[in-house]
Amino acid sequence: MRAVQEAVLAEMRRWGYRFVVTSTLESLEVFARGLGPEQLRRLFKLTDADGRLLAVVGERTIPVARLAAGQLRGAALPLRLCYSGPVLSNDGGRFASRRESQQVGAELIGAGGPVADAEVIALAVRCLDAAGLRRYQVDVGHAEFFQGLLDGLQLGPEVKARIKDALAARDLVQLEQVLAATPLRSAEHELLLRFPALRGGPEILDAAGELVRNRRSERALGELRRVFELLGTHGLGAAIQIDLGAIRDFDYYTGVIFEGFGPELGRPLAQGGRYDGLLARFGRPAPATGFVVHLDLVGEVLVRSEHPPALPRLDAAVAWSAPGLDAALRLGSSLRLFGMRAVVDTQPRAQAAARGWRDVVGARHLLHCTGAASVSWQPAGQRLRRLPPEQAVARLAGGRS
Amino acid sequence: MSVVTIALPTGNIQAPGLALLARAGVIHVTPQQLGRRLLVDSGGVRLVVVRPADVVAYVEHGAADLGIVGKDQLWESGRGQGIYELLDLRTNACRLVVAVPERSQLGGPETWPPTLRVATKYVRATAAYMESIGQAVELVHLHGSVELAPQVGLVDAISDLTETGNTLRENRLRVAAVIGESTTRLIANQVSLKTRAREVQDIVRRLRGAVESAD
Repeated sequence: MRAVQEAVLAEMRRWGYRFVVTSTLESLEVFARGLGPEQLRRLFKLTDADGRLLAVVGERTIPVARLAAGQLRGAALPLRLCYSGPVLSNDGGRFASRRESQQVGAELIGAGGPVADAEVIALAVRCLDAAGLRRYQVDVGHAEFFQGLLDGLQLGPEVKARIKDALAARDLVQLEQVLAATPLRSAEHELLLRFPALRGGPEILDAAGELVRNRRSERALGELRRVFELLGTHGLGAAIQIDLGAIRDFDYYTGVIFEGFGPELGRPLAQGGRYDGLLARFGRPAPATGFVVHLDLVGEVLVRSEHPPALPRLDAAVAWSAPGLDAALRLGSSLRLFGMRAVVDTQPRAQAAARGWRDVVGARHLLHCTGAASVSWQPAGQRLRRLPPEQAVARLAGGRS
Repeated sequence: MSVVTIALPTGNIQAPGLALLARAGVIHVTPQQLGRRLLVDSGGVRLVVVRPADVVAYVEHGAADLGIVGKDQLWESGRGQGIYELLDLRTNACRLVVAVPERSQLGGPETWPPTLRVATKYVRATAAYMESIGQAVELVHLHGSVELAPQVGLVDAISDLTETGNTLRENRLRVAAVIGESTTRLIANQVSLKTRAREVQDIVRRLRGAVESAD
């Protein structure tokens, strides 16, 4: 898990994203500016000494947005920020699902338009790569496409709200019933019915483009087409699918949205999108887009894959018998200086006992110090040999790669 | 083509569910062939047989791509966003009702006391309904023989599923309000809709055809 986290953060740093730390507790009021009632309900809440309501972070985009609008007010836009840490959410204990999960995220604040959208999606894909995933796909959609379809319907706000509710609940039976009860039969109507299945390659953009008759959806399709082209230039055509029927929090997202999936897991591994409205709520209006990678889920996929990642092994276990302690400590320091992972034993051991200890700590090499001048070392498949400490270091460092 | 897994519940949804799957040409298994087996593979489709209340869990976690489940179970599961409800399969039509003893003074919601005591297996759906009409309730969560509860003075009313109303009548209960109407639904895992889009949509199309041709 830690290795995946580091790999993802390293990839983000390569793209120029700066690591920021946000606090674990925030005033509930801060989250209320960005989250809907259902998400607010899931936060773990507590009060401080003055009776103010606090919440444990359930996501970190909002704290990062507040940081960008607050402490980083003076920093020039666009800002590229990344973060990592646990988030807590009370999922109603439905299946006693995980309440604490680990996320790594990145936000590009102050840049609008397809170039920024494509950068963040490309970064997300590269992060999944860096995490060690080999089979995944990323679906790209647009929140405005759906809003445009709703606009295009000549229906009262009440019916539109019911359409939204049905979609938010992923209840397509309900959606069909609501639409069947309306007198209208427009292209938008038809598109809404087929909405969740509007998915495929770039050809789906043309198919949808011929049906929509409203500016908002048309503009969304145009942006998606551009983002798709740019992702091709980023070298990522193959992993990308267009999903016009993506159902997400439409009150939060304002533009291009995306999700990353692995084939073996029933939940998205990474999610993100454009949220141009959020920063204004903290007093610094700016376009913004970003994503999170769900580390626990990525870890699950990796562990179950055909080649699960090996636990990191030690390069050397340094054992010693009574007169060899000083040499062992110096040897450990030298090995680390050459970038190797080495542990020095905390108690004296004879050669045979030391072999057992090496297996327990899981090191590639066993070095045994019996005095100041010589180390015994048994390379794999060779006989035991004695050599001076500095030679042992040189041999190990040289043979490491 | 990868295998598509369908979760099918035990109990009274199973036979109509199997009939529908066969009519749609998805998988041909009779209840006799199924017997007590919990897992059947045939022609790119795997059927897993689980308890009715567990179908949602199997699909939500992606252990099954699709599931056949009563709407009543969807009410009770308080499902999250991991599940899509795709199709009304129109079998096992029944209603979730509030029922009171025949001799009770209570009628429709306007006659109910400020706090109504209700016994039910369907706590979530009942609570949501009572909240929507502004009725305060004390819910007693029972796991079976709910009809008995008002007769021994445990509660004022029950909420339970009824298909024909026979069980209610036999226990001298009458319907005071209808909470909702339930039929069997086809549900899908959100990721299966994407990673196995072709196979899953093909099954959905066939089932839709079979349902509509039954009209």
